[in-house]
Parts: sequence; C-alpha cells; structure tokens
Amino acid sequence: MKTNQNLKTARPLHKRQIGWHLLMMLLVIIALVPVLFAFISSFKSMQELYNGSLLPSQITFDNYGEILSSLPIFKITLNTFIIAVTVTVFKVVTSTLAAYAFVFFDFKGKNVIYFFLICTIFIPFTVTMIPNYLTVSNLNLVDKIWGVVLPQLADASGIFLLRQTMKTVPRPLIEISHLDDISEMKILRNIIIPICRPAIISTGIIFFINSWNEYVWPTLILRSRENYTLSLAMQVFTDSEGGVEYTITLAMAVITMLLPLTLYLIFQKHIMSTFASSGIKG
Amino acid sequence: MANKKDIIFKNVEKTFGKTKVIEHLDLHIREGERLILLGPSGCGKSTTLRMIAGLETISSGELVMEGKCVNDVPAGKRGVSMVFQNYALYPHMTVRDNICYALKAHKEEKEEIEKRLQMVLKIFGLETYVNRKPKELSGGQRQRVALARALVKRSPYLLLDEPLSNLDAQLRLQARKELVKVHQYYHQTFIYVTHDQVEAMTLGNRIALMREGKLMMLDTPYNVYHRPANVFTAKFIGSPATNIISAVWKNGLLHCGKYSLKLPDMWEKLIIASKETEFYLGIRPEHIHLHAGLSDNSLGGEVDYIEDYGNKMGIYFRMNGEEIISVDNTIPGSSGSSVSFTPDFRHIYIFEKKSENSIGYPPELDINISAQEKMMRDILSQGSQVKMGQDEVIHVHR
Amino acid sequence: MKNIHKPAVSTSRPDRARKTGKFLRPYLFLFPAAAVLAIFMFYPLIYTIYLSFFDWNMVKPVKEFVGFANYINMFQDPNIQKILVNTFLYIFLLLIFNFVAPYIFSFILSFVIKKGKNFYRSSIFLPSVISLVAGTMIFVWILNPISGPAAKIMEAFGQKVPIWSTTQGLVIVVISIITSWKIFGYNFIVALSGVGSIPLEIIEAARVDNIPLHKIFLKIVVPMSSSTGIYVLILAIVQGMQQVFTPINMITQGGPDYGSSNLIYNVYNEAFGFYKTGSASAYAILMMLIFIFLLVLEFKYVEKGVYYEN
Repeated sequence: MKTNQNLKTARPLHKRQIGWHLLMMLLVIIALVPVLFAFISSFKSMQELYNGSLLPSQITFDNYGEILSSLPIFKITLNTFIIAVTVTVFKVVTSTLAAYAFVFFDFKGKNVIYFFLICTIFIPFTVTMIPNYLTVSNLNLVDKIWGVVLPQLADASGIFLLRQTMKTVPRPLIEISHLDDISEMKILRNIIIPICRPAIISTGIIFFINSWNEYVWPTLILRSRENYTLSLAMQVFTDSEGGVEYTITLAMAVITMLLPLTLYLIFQKHIMSTFASSGIKG
Repeated sequence: MANKKDIIFKNVEKTFGKTKVIEHLDLHIREGERLILLGPSGCGKSTTLRMIAGLETISSGELVMEGKCVNDVPAGKRGVSMVFQNYALYPHMTVRDNICYALKAHKEEKEEIEKRLQMVLKIFGLETYVNRKPKELSGGQRQRVALARALVKRSPYLLLDEPLSNLDAQLRLQARKELVKVHQYYHQTFIYVTHDQVEAMTLGNRIALMREGKLMMLDTPYNVYHRPANVFTAKFIGSPATNIISAVWKNGLLHCGKYSLKLPDMWEKLIIASKETEFYLGIRPEHIHLHAGLSDNSLGGEVDYIEDYGNKMGIYFRMNGEEIISVDNTIPGSSGSSVSFTPDFRHIYIFEKKSENSIGYPPELDINISAQEKMMRDILSQGSQVKMGQDEVIHVHR
Repeated sequence: MKNIHKPAVSTSRPDRARKTGKFLRPYLFLFPAAAVLAIFMFYPLIYTIYLSFFDWNMVKPVKEFVGFANYINMFQDPNIQKILVNTFLYIFLLLIFNFVAPYIFSFILSFVIKKGKNFYRSSIFLPSVISLVAGTMIFVWILNPISGPAAKIMEAFGQKVPIWSTTQGLVIVVISIITSWKIFGYNFIVALSGVGSIPLEIIEAARVDNIPLHKIFLKIVVPMSSSTGIYVLILAIVQGMQQVFTPINMITQGGPDYGSSNLIYNVYNEAFGFYKTGSASAYAILMMLIFIFLLVLEFKYVEKGVYYEN
C-alpha cells in the first residue's frame, strides 16, 4: 500500500520536469542570447541592425574595418594582454607562496595575518582609489600600462582559493619530503605545484579574464588612445550626447569577448571545480 | 651495552595543548631489531614513531639517536625513512620517479640510483610497473612501491606506520613475509606501528605494548603472549581475550567465588612473596578444557552459548555470574549444562588486584621443559624468519 | 654502499642560525603578497581615513585640517538621502537577483532536475567571463527604447519601452539587471557547490514523505547550506556594488539628477569629478562601514571554526 502511494506522488514530479527544464532554459537564453546577438549584429550594416531582421542578409566586415582604421586596435589588444599576463603571473606566484605558508607552516600570528589578508577582498575599490591614484601618479605612471598593473600584483582571493586546494594535499606527502630532507622550495615546486596544477591554472585563468575585463582602474589611469585597454576602447564609439555607433560598438564587444570565451571553453571544467571549491568551506 | 645506532627515549613526554599523549616514556630500541609499537588507537604509538622521525616535537625529556640528543634535529637529518599507512606516494610521479625522487634531489650519481632502483624493483617484483602512476596500481603494489621508496635510501632506520592496514587479509600475509625478508636483507632497525596483534606477534623481535601514552610491556612476542606483565597485556594479546577472574588468597587456597583451587608450590611461593591477598587469575581460552560435571580442584559454571569457528568451538559459560570463554575442539555439553575444568598451572597468570601487575612467573616454568620445547623457544625468540641464501644479505650500515 | 644521509644525524649549521632560518621561512613565503596588499590595500585604507579629515583637491600643496566637517557636510548634502536610498535599493535588487535567485535555482538544478546539469551549469556561468563593459553596451542596444530588439518585440504587442535611462527608479532596476547578467553565474556556481553537497538521501527521504518542494528548500536545504549561503550573500552585495559602477559610469554617470547614483559612484564622482578628496573619502568610509558590518557577519558565520581544523 505504502509503496503504491509513493509511486503516485513520485510520478507527477517526473512529469513536471519539463516545466523545470523550461525555467532553466529561460535562464540559459538570458545568459547566452545577448552574446549570440552581439556576435551576429557585428556583421550587420547599421541599416540592417535598425530594421530589425534577425540574421544579416549580407555579412559585412565593415564594422571591424572601421575599428581597424579608427583605433590602434592591435596596440590596444597588446596593452590589454600585457597587463593581464603580468597581473596574472604576479598574482598566481604571490598567492601560491602565501597559500603554501598558510597550509604547510605553523607560525606566530598565522590566523591574524590570514584574517587581515582575506579582509582585503571586502575592501571596496573606492576606499583605496584615491591614495593608489596618488601613489601611481607620484611614480609618474599615470597613462602608462604599468600604472594599471602595479596595485594588482597580489590578490587575497587567490590566496583563499589556493589555500582551499592545498589543504586537500595529504600531509604525509609533505612529511615524506621532509624526511627525505627536501628543501621547502623543492617541495613547493616538485610536489605541491604539480599536484595543485589544475587549481593553479584555473585561478590564473580567472585572474587573466578579470584583468582583461577590468574597467574602473584603467579608466582612472589611462588617458591616451594608444595606451587604452579594450574595455576603454569600447566607449570610443559613443559620442558625448550618448549617441552610439551600435554595429561598431558590438563588433568591439565581440573582439573584447573573444579571448575570455575561448579560454572559458577550453578550461571550463577546471574553472568550475575551482570556483565551486570556494563555496564549501572547511 | 648500547650500540651506536640504538634509539633511546629518556623520560620523554609529549603534550598537545593540555592533553598528555606520552607520559614518561623510557624505551631503548636496539640497532637492527624489529621493534613493534603496539596498542589500541590513541595509545600514543604513532606519536612515538613520529617523534623518532622528527615529525613531532618532544615536549620534555630526551630522544637519543647515534649517541646524540636529537630533540632539535629536523626530520631530514635523522637518517630515517618511513612508510605511511596510506603510502603517501606522489600521485603525479611514476613508480620510478617516486622511488628515485629523494636520491635525485640529493644529486646521487646516476648509475648508483639506477642500481638501487633495479634492486628494489627486483625484490618487490615491480619491474613491469616502473612507468605507471600510483593510481594505476593495486593496493598491494602501492604498498610495495612505498616500501621500495623507503628502502632505496638505505637509511639505518625504517619506520613503518601501519603499512599493511589497507591490504586485504591474503595480501597482508604475503606482505608480512616480504617485510621479514627485507629486514634480513638490509638489517635496518625496523620500528613498526600497528594495532593488529597478529602483525605484532609475527613481525616483531620485540613488542612495545602501549596504553594511553604509557609503555605497558616491552619484551619478545613469546614473553608478551606467555608471560604478560599485567592485566592489560594479557587481555590485549590473544583472541578471544584472556579470561580475568577475581580471586582471593585465604587459608592456603585461591578462592574464586564459590570455587577454590589448591595451587602448586611454585605459585604458592610467589603469592606468599607478594604479601597480597586479592588477585586476578588469568587463563587463556585455549587453556580451558571443559568436561561435564564438577571435579576436584576445579572451576566451573553453566554453559551459556556455543559457537562454531570451524576448526574450534567457542564455549561461553557463566562462573560466579561472569562470562568465561573456552576455545576447544570438543563440546562438554549443550547450553545449560554444568561444566568444570582444572586449570593447567603451567599456563595461568596471576596479577595483583591493586596494581594489576603480574606477581611474576615461577622459574620452574623455564627449567622443567622438554628438549623440543626448548628448541622451539630458541627459534621463536629470534622472531619470524625466512630462509635466505648467504650472499643475499646486505647490511645497510657498515 | 653510499648512504644519502652522509652522517645520519648531522648538525651542519649552528643550531641557532638554523632555528632562526626556520622561524623566518613562512614569513618569507608570505612577504610578496603581504607587501603588495599592505601598500595597495591597507595603507590606502588608512590614508583615506586620514584624507576624510582634510580639505584637499589632490594638487594643492597644503591639506587643510577640517575635523569632522566632511562628515557633517556629507550628512547635510541635499543628495545624501537620495544616494543612500539608491544604495539600499541597489543592494536589495542585487540580493534578489544574485542571492535569492541563484540559491533557488541551485536547488532546482541539484535536486529537482535530473538531466542536462552540466549544460545548464556551463551556459549559465558563461556571462561571468565576459567584460561588463561589453555586456553593458550589448544591453544598451537591446533595451534601446526606439530601435532596439526589445522595443521591436514590444511594438508587436502595441507596447513601448520606456526611456529607462532617464526614468527615476526604473534606471536602477535596469542597471541592476545588467550587472546581474554578469555576476549571476558566479554566485550560482558557488551556491550550487554548497547546496549540491547536501546528501541526496536526505532530499529523497523528504520526497518519499511527500513534503512539498518549497518546504524542502526552506526547511532542509537552506539550513544545511547556510555557511555557503552567507558567503553568497556577502558576494552578492560586495561584488555587486562594485560591479554596478561600470554600467552607471557608462550609461548615466549617476543621472538623472543623482537618480542612479549610489555611494560607490558618488565617491568616484566627488574625487575625480569635483576633485574633493575630503568629501570623497568621507563617503568612502561610510561605504566601508556598511561593508564592515557585512564582514563581521561573514566571519561570524562562515569562517568560524574552520581555521586549520587539523
């Protein structure tokens, strides 16, 4: 009797799966359609964009051509790339070293130092913005890409993510290395980094993508077009009255999205699991 | 007396915060022996091992290795190698790299590394697995790789922390034999942690039995089994556990509830010398041979429960309300029937009730023995052994 | 037979030197990260507090000490009320879109839906890797009231898209939606990791007992994933409030008439629009205090008891 009843109640849930799937699909559509839309529209002429056809009747590369002719787009992409790579390398290295210290050493003030470093994740940029601008300006780095890079050489969220990962390395692996009189640097290089490689790579990719997409800080530091990053170049095609050359701007958006999306598609699995690990604590 | 490579604990203590994990440990481990640290979980055996390794600091007292106090010598400088319970193989390295990593890191000569590698591969039959990663190996293979990795270092001390506990029963038997062979081959000092008394009995030259941070008994497997120094040892070693029966010495008789025993002279002397009146009588299940009814100078009771082990039977009976176990190959009667037995006085233990320590063992037990018994004891006092060719033996330390 | 431990027990360096070296080692590993964060996080934090007591414009050689005047002026500023109300409206909307919604959807994906989990997960996360600048421009076009696709669709139903960028209230909603488009996926994945770690048997047992889904969510899922929940809550506010700067600066610059401004944007506006570092710093500290309150919450519930538990 009882099992019969259970079957009855279980079945409608299965039937209702379609409804739930429709709900999830709605989310997927909201997430993906704007991206798809930008991609398609970037190959439309202005006219076609305004008359609202879904697909371009004729694919045009004019928008991309316009970007090429009116902006030092290669220089801008290179700037963005150099900033992102430098920031990523420094953040990954400093985070790896710090996470290693927090996981594999016992030292005075460990908890307090960790607490303070993690707090920096929650300091809003508006609080640090003015003094950092002054520092960069005193170093004559305004309107230079190194001025963008400088304050971002370390990141507490990287320490947090890598600490989470390193905590899962079994302690005996380190102990056996200590017994074999392996130096700390060698343990880090030959044991910890190879074992944590997936998490380190995805943390790096996350840093890279975030730096690539950065907007606020570069807005403050960079002035001249040849020093722009892609985020800043996006607004070039918006005039002071708010009029926007949409097809060109959407083409610019596509250029900006291209590399992060490619990285995401390649490293998707790693990135997901690393992000997920930040949720389950302890 | 003491050899250079002996390990000596002098009044060592270890505390974690406020809890004492090791209390006043005095332990002398002899060069080249297989010493087993045995005890229930939480008894401090692993901590003791890790103190030798240098992975755990010493709170007070002295640990002496090679004639020097090593309290402050870091793990890597003590000349120990270790096999961990879960093997601690580097997951990203092949078998070859796992085994050779430490040697390479210390810039050992290439030919020497290769020579040692080939040797351990041969000993453990791992030749065909050199290029596999740990996750592609079975549990038994991983255990052998861990052992191989510990052996290539040729350090004078090999520490083993429950290395066989993750293997199934059959592999464990084989691995025990392998370990004895390896020991005879390299003659390192083995310090072996286990909670498994069979492993302890079969692998040790000596067993250090611990409880709650204290050393309860340190002796050969034969003595730990046949001459337990205290109640804990008698109960911990052997399965099913030794029966412990409360007894009172009065009017020249040992009274156990409503039963009383006339002891042979050799035991009477010891009892009188102890000047105590309250005791525990310890008798192993396999030394209780029950028969129906009651007879002279015997203990008895009523059968409660009988179980069949296949080769033997376990007979549980109630004596003075307490459960006593006998293991035998005959059944004296069905459950409910009255049974009794006269103890074999060569195989009883008597402990003082107050201290739970043995009152000692009559010297007659070791004098009046047959030639065969003597030979057997001589062989066993060496610990387990494996036949080997003379040329196979390597001594690690010169 | 060579032994790699040449002397098995060696004391090559004097004990004291080695001990000091060992003592210093963890700090050496920490140093690079700690130094950068000290110079570009903690020093600026303190300097901003310092600046909030001075009148300055970034170029004047002398900073004039004014005591609490910047704070007093801040609370007497005719726009402060609007800015604070906007700030809390943003926080409220960001919480709905990036805390409540991801939480519910992560429950649906973990325990209600059986197929296509990976597809949903990776698609929904995808906008998180896209520049919010690009996202903003795309939405500005999609939601363009005259000729954007949304307007075209509404037209078919005989409706119009309001000129949202100059409509009080609505402008905040739209900006929050644009921001949420980018950060929803990240919060969703984090929430999913907490909700997904609840043992399936518990949910199935509840279903066998015929407990409705919303009750399972509220009575089982939420309490059992509360530490992740708090973390997502903090993320939604702290990250959201910073990200929201981008669309504000790109679309409205705080307009119409401070209608879309909030504390974060106003700090920027005061500092780099009017070059009033004192008042900008005072606003920044106010924002900081609101965040500290949230931080205390975070460390009380999320980080509690998880330090070095071994």
